[in-house]
Amino acid sequence: MLSRSGSQCSRLSSLIKLSHRDTSFIARNATVNALVAHGDVNGPYPVATSGPLAGLTIAVKDNICTKSLPTTCSSHILENFTSPYDATVVSLISNGGAGVVGKANCDEFGMGSLNMYSMHGPVINPFGASSEIAGSLERRSAGGSSGGSAAAVAAGLCDAALGTDTGGSVRLPASYCGVVGLKPSYGIVSRWGVVSFADSLDCVGVLGKDVSTVRRVHRVIAIYDDRDPTAIPPEVRDTARRVYEDRLAHHRDGHLVGLRIGVPQEYFPTELESSVSESVRRVLSQLQARGAIIVPVSLPSTPYALSAYYVISSAEASSNLARYDGIEFGSRVEPPPGSNLTKTANVYAHTRSQGFGKEVKRRILLGTYALSADAFENYFLQAQKVRNFVKEDFDRIFSAPNPLHRTKSRSSHEGVDVILHPSAMQTAPLLPDCTDRASSASASLDAYVQDVLTVPASLAGLPALSVPAGRGSDGWPIGVSVVGQWGSDELVLRTGEAIEACM
Amino acid sequence: MLLHGRARLLTRSIVCARYAHTPAARAPKQDSRWPGWELVVGIEVHAQIKSRRKLFSGERCRRTASLASDLGSTPNTHVSAFDAAFPGTLPRLNPRCVELGVRTAIALNAEVQQRSAFDRKHYFYADLPSGYQITQQYAPIARNGSLRLEQDGLTVRIKQVQLEQDTGKSTFLPRNHITAIDLNRAGMGLMEIVSEPDMRSPEEAGHYVRALQALLRSVGSSDGNMEQGSLRCDVNVSVNRVGGPPGTRCEIKNLNSVKNTTVAIACEAFRQIALLERGVPVTQETRGFDEEKAETYSLRSKEDAPDYRYMPDPNIPPLLLDRNYIDAIRDNMPELPDATRARLLAQGLSQRDVEVLMDVDSGREVGYDGELGRGAVAYFDEVSRGRDPKAVVNWISHELLGQLARRHETFSDNPISVAQMGELIDLVQRGKVTGTSGKMILRHILSTRTGDLPAKIAADLQLVAVSDGGAALEKWCRDAIAALPEEAEVVRCGNVKVVNKIMGHVMKASRGTAKAPDVRALLLKLLQS
Repeated sequence: MLSRSGSQCSRLSSLIKLSHRDTSFIARNATVNALVAHGDVNGPYPVATSGPLAGLTIAVKDNICTKSLPTTCSSHILENFTSPYDATVVSLISNGGAGVVGKANCDEFGMGSLNMYSMHGPVINPFGASSEIAGSLERRSAGGSSGGSAAAVAAGLCDAALGTDTGGSVRLPASYCGVVGLKPSYGIVSRWGVVSFADSLDCVGVLGKDVSTVRRVHRVIAIYDDRDPTAIPPEVRDTARRVYEDRLAHHRDGHLVGLRIGVPQEYFPTELESSVSESVRRVLSQLQARGAIIVPVSLPSTPYALSAYYVISSAEASSNLARYDGIEFGSRVEPPPGSNLTKTANVYAHTRSQGFGKEVKRRILLGTYALSADAFENYFLQAQKVRNFVKEDFDRIFSAPNPLHRTKSRSSHEGVDVILHPSAMQTAPLLPDCTDRASSASASLDAYVQDVLTVPASLAGLPALSVPAGRGSDGWPIGVSVVGQWGSDELVLRTGEAIEACM
Repeated sequence: MLLHGRARLLTRSIVCARYAHTPAARAPKQDSRWPGWELVVGIEVHAQIKSRRKLFSGERCRRTASLASDLGSTPNTHVSAFDAAFPGTLPRLNPRCVELGVRTAIALNAEVQQRSAFDRKHYFYADLPSGYQITQQYAPIARNGSLRLEQDGLTVRIKQVQLEQDTGKSTFLPRNHITAIDLNRAGMGLMEIVSEPDMRSPEEAGHYVRALQALLRSVGSSDGNMEQGSLRCDVNVSVNRVGGPPGTRCEIKNLNSVKNTTVAIACEAFRQIALLERGVPVTQETRGFDEEKAETYSLRSKEDAPDYRYMPDPNIPPLLLDRNYIDAIRDNMPELPDATRARLLAQGLSQRDVEVLMDVDSGREVGYDGELGRGAVAYFDEVSRGRDPKAVVNWISHELLGQLARRHETFSDNPISVAQMGELIDLVQRGKVTGTSGKMILRHILSTRTGDLPAKIAADLQLVAVSDGGAALEKWCRDAIAALPEEAEVVRCGNVKVVNKIMGHVMKASRGTAKAPDVRALLLKLLQS
C-alpha cells in the first residue's frame, strides 16, 4: 500500500515527481524495472475512499494515454510525449476510486513477448527476487509485452495493472510472473486512448494477484464507449449476458458440475515443457473431481494461426505507426545538412530510423511488405482467410452461439463451455544477454513461436484468462489459460476462480 | 437507420488496370481543332461535403465564409487530436456526411450500396498526419450512376461515388525555405465522384463539371466552389485516330476552375496528338497544369506511381445502410435542376425567364448538413402561389433583379419578403396602384428596408389609385387643359398626337396614380366633344 512519507523523497527519482513513496517501493521497483513513471497519491489520479475501486492501486501500461503522466510506449519516438487526454479506461478506473501508481514498462508499442524491447530497459521477473530459489537473483523475463504490468503486480507495487493484449501480451507475462491476467472479449473494453498496435486485435486487459481483483477492475472498465468505433453496442452485450445468465447461476460458488471443459489437442505440441503439461493435467483432474466434464477437442487451424497473426498484426502496425513522423508530436530528428529532402519520406526517415527500436522496425517492414500491391493477396488476404478459419474452429466447438454472428444462433449441447490449455510453452525464460547479438535473430523467432498458444484467441476476439497453476520443474510459475466463446468473460473468470481454488 | 455492421468480409482486391481508356460506344465526334483525331475524357471530381463537422473526428469544420475571407480562420484552429493523428485517437463516422453522400448518389441515379467499407490509403506527406487517408477503395458507397448534359444531348456514366477524408494544406514559403502546414482542412469529408471516359471535347468536360456543380448545390451536399477549393478536378485525357483503338491516358491533377479544366484538356490533346504524329507514343503519367504557360507538365511517370498499400481500415466497421434509410432520403430529395427547369416551363414561363431564375438560384448559399438554402426559385414558388406565374416572374426577373443590380446588390441581399412582394403584385394586378407606383413602392422598400406592407406604403405615399368615380381624374384633366391652352387647341383641331403632352401633365399632377388609358380617354372626350 501507499504511504505518504513527505516531500523529501522527491529528489530520489529522476523520472517524474515522486513525493509519497517509501524507499522500499522505490527499491523494489528499481530491482524489477516495472514502473517507468510514477504517479502521485496527491496527484491527478489519487486513491479514493469511495467507488467500486476505492482503495485500489493500479499501474497503467505505458501505451495507454494519461494526460498527467507521460505516455512513451517505451519508444524513443515518444520519449517526451504526454497525451492531451486520458484514455477512457484511465478515466473509468480513476472515477471508480482507484489510484494510478504509475506507468508500466512494456515492449515498444506492445511488440514483443519478453519485455526486452524497451527504451526503459528490460523488466526483470520479480519472482526471482521474492522466491526462496533465488539465492543469487536470476534475471528472467517477466514476459511481454505487458511485462511491467505483470511485474508491478507480482512485486506488490500495486493491486492490479492495466495491460494490453494483441497476441498474448497480458496472458504471457501473467503466466511468467505468477499472476492472473485477463484478455477480455474484443470490443468490450474501450480502446479510446490506447495507442494502436493492431486495431483489430488490441484489447485492454487486467492483471492482478487473484481473479476477484481482476474481475473488480474489469467490471469497471467493461463499459460501452461511443468514442471507440469497434466497441460492441449495448444491445449485443445484453444478448451475451442473457446467454450466460443460466450457466452462471448454475456454476456459482465454485460449483462445476456439468461444466464442459474442452482440451484442444493442438495446444500440446512436442515443444511443450513436460512440467507444464503435468501442471495442466493436474488442474484438469482437480476440476474433473469437482464435477467438470473434460472433453478432448480439436482446433485444426491452430498451426496456421501464428503466421496469420504476424501478417495481420504487422500490416496494421505498419499503418498505425506511419503517424510517428516528428511533425505533430513526439521526437524529431532534424535531417543533417545536405540531406536529400526532395521527398517527405526522406525527411521522416531520420526521425523514424532513430526513434523506433529494431523489433518495431522489423514489424513495420514486414507489414509494409504484406500490404504492397504484389504481396497483398498472397499475404494479407490469405491471413484474413486463416483468421476466419480460426474463428470457425472456435464457433464449432463452443456450446454457446457467437452473439456477433446473428445468423448462426444455434446452441449445441455437444459443444464445450470453455477450453483450457497451457498459457506458455515453458516457465519464464532467462533474459538474453544484451551483448549476445549473434543469437538475437533466432531468439526473436523463438519468441514468435512462444505466441502460438495465445494468438488464436486474439484472432477470434475471445475472452482468455491466464491463471497461476503451480510451479515448473525449475520452481518458476506456470499458468493455464481458460478461453471462452465471445462474451463469456464472466464464465471464464468463474472457471479461473475454480482453478485458483484447486491450487 | 444507419447501422454499423460488425462482420468484416473481405472482398478480393480490385486491381485497377485502367491504363487505356475504354470509352463508351459513341459516334466519333469531328472536331475542327484536331481533324481525324478523337478525344476521350474522364473526370474525377473531389467535392467537399458541406457538413458542420469533419468526416471522422467530430471537429467543427473551418467556416468557408466568403471569397474575400478565404484566408479563413487562423491556421490550425479547427484541429482535433484525431485530425493531428495523436496516438490513441479513433475515428467516428459523421452520419450527416453519409446522408449527403447518399443524397448525391440518388441525384446521380446511382445504386446506393447497402454495404460499403472504408480503407486506408498510405503515403507520407506532411499534410497527412496519420500517414494514410481513409477512403473507400474496395467498396464505395454508390456505383453506376449517370449525369445528363442537356446541351450536348449526352449522358455521362458515373462509375462510382466514394467518401473519403480531405488532407491538410501545405504552403511552401520560399523566403524561409519551409513548408507551412494547416490542418484545418485535414479530415473534412469529401465525395470522390468518378465518371467513365464518356466525354469527347473540352467543352463537354466543362459542361459536365458545371452540371455536377449545379446538382451538388441543388441537393445541398457541397457548395461546389472551385475557386475556394471545395470542388477539385482531376481529368483523364487520351486521344486516338478516328476509328482507331483507344489511346493511352494521362491524368491531369488538381484543376481549380472550369476554364482551366477545358483549357488543360485542349492543351493536353494537342500535346498528345503532336507526339503521336511524330510517331512518339504517349506514356501513361500524372501531369500538372501550368496556367501561365497554358501547358501541362509531367509530375510522375507510371513507374514512379506510389504503392498506396490499401488496407481495410480495422477501426471502422462496414457501413450498412438499410433500405428504409435509403428510401427515406429518396423520398425527401430536393428538386434537381432538370426537374425544376421542366416544372417552371410547364408553368408557362419563357425559356429566358427560367434561365434567369435558375442562374440566380444557383448562386444561393448552400446550407450545412443538407439544410437547403432559399434561392430565387424558392422565392418565385412562394410568391407565385395563387398568383399568375408570368406576372410574378416579370416582377422578380425584371423589376426586382434589375433594381438590385442597379444598387450593386445580389438576390441574397433582397429585403422584400414574400408577403410584401405578393401584395405588391396583387395591388398592381387589381388596379389598386398603377405599374409605375408599384415600381416606386419596390424601390422604396429596397432603399428604406421597411417591413411595411405595400398597401400601407401606397397609402403613406399617396400612391393609391383614386377610385372616386372619376372626380379627381376629371379635375386633373380640366386643370391640364387650362394650363396648356395651345396644346389643347391643337388636339381640338384633330392632331391627336399632342394629347400625350397633356397626359404627361395629368400624370405628374396625379403622381402616377392615374391610369394612362383612362387619362387619355377622358382628355380626348373633353377636347373632342
